[in-house]
Amino acid sequence: MITTSGLTKRFGTRVALDGVDLDVPDGSIHGLLGPNGAGKTTLLGIIAGLRSATSGTVQVDADHAHVAVLPDTPRFDPWLTGREVVELARHLVDPDGSTDQVERVLAEAGLHDAMDIAVGGYSRGMLQRLGVACTVVGSPRVLLLDEPASALDPLGRREVLDLTRRMRGTATVLMSSHILADVQEVCDTVSILDRGRLLFQGPLEELLVGSATPRYVVRCRPPVEPVVTALEGHPWVRAITRPAPEELVVEVTDLDVAEAQLPAALASAGARVVSMAPEAVTLERAFLELTK
Amino acid sequence: MTLWRLEWLRVVRTRRWLALVGTFVFFGFLGPLTAAYLPEILSLAGGDLEGATITLPPPTPADGIAQFASNALQLGTLVAAVVAAGATALDAIPEMGVFLRTRVDDLRPVMVPRVVVTAIVVVASWVLGAAIAWYETWALIGAPDTSAMLLGMALGALYMVFVVALVAAVASQARTVLATVMGSVVILLVMPLLGIVDAIGRWLPSHLGGALAGLASGAATAGDYVGATVVTLVASAALVVLSVRLFSVRDV
Repeated sequence: MITTSGLTKRFGTRVALDGVDLDVPDGSIHGLLGPNGAGKTTLLGIIAGLRSATSGTVQVDADHAHVAVLPDTPRFDPWLTGREVVELARHLVDPDGSTDQVERVLAEAGLHDAMDIAVGGYSRGMLQRLGVACTVVGSPRVLLLDEPASALDPLGRREVLDLTRRMRGTATVLMSSHILADVQEVCDTVSILDRGRLLFQGPLEELLVGSATPRYVVRCRPPVEPVVTALEGHPWVRAITRPAPEELVVEVTDLDVAEAQLPAALASAGARVVSMAPEAVTLERAFLELTK
Repeated sequence: MTLWRLEWLRVVRTRRWLALVGTFVFFGFLGPLTAAYLPEILSLAGGDLEGATITLPPPTPADGIAQFASNALQLGTLVAAVVAAGATALDAIPEMGVFLRTRVDDLRPVMVPRVVVTAIVVVASWVLGAAIAWYETWALIGAPDTSAMLLGMALGALYMVFVVALVAAVASQARTVLATVMGSVVILLVMPLLGIVDAIGRWLPSHLGGALAGLASGAATAGDYVGATVVTLVASAALVVLSVRLFSVRDV
C-alpha cells in the first residue's frame, strides 16, 4: 500500500533520510518510531506529497483524495467552527458523501458539544481531536498521522487510539509516535528510524523477540557478590547489572542456553534464589537498544 | 462548505473588508473636502508667512478627484496588499496549508477563490471610495466628466486586480505574511520609478493608478492607457498562474 524505495532527502549537507526502503502492508496500522530528528516527519511529508525527495521513489496505492494527513500540531482558521472545518474537509475529499458523517466523526472525536464553537477558542487537545476528525471524515484509504496523540490528555489519547484502531482493515495507517505504549497498543507492524536510516521494520512481535538482548532477572538473598563473580565466569553471560541490592539482571547470549545452565550455575555459586524469570522485553527497551 | 465560501467567510469574519472599505471611503470623503476647502485649511493652519500671500486658484472637479486618487492609491494599495497577503499566503502557517494541500489534487481550486474574492472586495472598496469622491466633488466643487470618471474607475479597478495578483505571486515565494507584504510593496514602489522613463511607464500597470486623476483632469485620454491595460490584463492572469505553479512545487 505504501512503499518507498531508496528514499533520500538532503537539506544541504545534512542527510535527513538515507535510502529508506519502507513497506507498509495494505490495511495495517504501522508505527513509525524514532528519536527526535530521526526523519519521521520528513518521511511522512514526502509520502504525503508535501515535500520532494532528493532521490528514491514513493508509491502510495490510493488516490490523492483518499490519503489523509494529520500534522503533529494541526491548526485551522480560527474564525471557522469545528463543524465548518470538518465540513470543508469532507467537501474536499468526498463531495458527494453524506453530511451526516460530519457530526458522527465530530462526536467520535469527543467534540460534539464544541462543534459550533469557533476553532480559535479550542485548546490544543481539542485542535488535535479536530484534526483527527478531519482526517477520518470521507473514509480515507490511507492515513498518515504525525504524533496523533501527543497533545492529548489520557481520555483524549484513549479516544484517538480507539479511532485509529477502528481504521484497521478499512484503511492503511502510518503513524509516527514518541509514545511507545501507544504504538505497542494499536500497531501491527513497526519501523524504527534513526538519523535518517531505517533500522528495523516488521511485525511488533518480531521486534520484541528478535531485537532486544535476552535477560534474566534473578532475586537472591545476600551475599550477592560471590554469585555475581561466579556468573561472570560463564561464557554465555554477557553482562550483569544490579538495579537493586538483591536483584541481578543477567544479560545472556542465548535464552535457551541460559534456561539450561543458569539454575545450575546459581546453585554451584551457592546463591539463595528467591525468584528467577526471563525479563519481559518492552518496546521501549527494544527501541532504546536499536537507537543507542 | 466550499473553498469559495471559505474565502467569503475569511473576508467577512475577520472583518478585513472593513479595513478596505474604511480606507477607500475615508479618502473618498476627505479628498474632495480638502480640495474644496484648501484655502480655509491653510489659513486655519496659520503661521507667519512674513508678509507673503498664497493665492490658490479656485478648486476644479479634477482637484477633488486627484486628491482622492493620490491618497487612496498610496494607503489603499498598501491595505489591499496586506489583505491580499493574509488571504494568499497559503503556507504562512504551514499546518493550515497542509490541511488544504493534502486534500486537493492541484492548488487551482484553493488559490483562485483566494485571489478572486480578495480582488472583488478590493475593487468594490475602490469603486465605493471613488463613487463617494465623485459625489462629494459634484456637491462641493462641480461635476467631473462622467465618461472620464467611469473609465478612470475601471482602470483603477484593473490596477487593484493586478496588485492582488502580484501579492499572490509573491506569497508563493515568501514564507510569512509580512514578507509577502514587504516583497509586494517593494515591487509596487519600483514600478513607478521605472515609469519615470515615459517609454516604459506607459506600459506599466502602475500607469493605470494615475488614470482616474489623469482622465478627470483632461490631461490624458483613453488612448494613453491602452498599452498599460493590455499589459496589466496579461500580467495579472500570468501572475495568478505563476502563483499556483510555484505553490504547487514548493516544499512545505
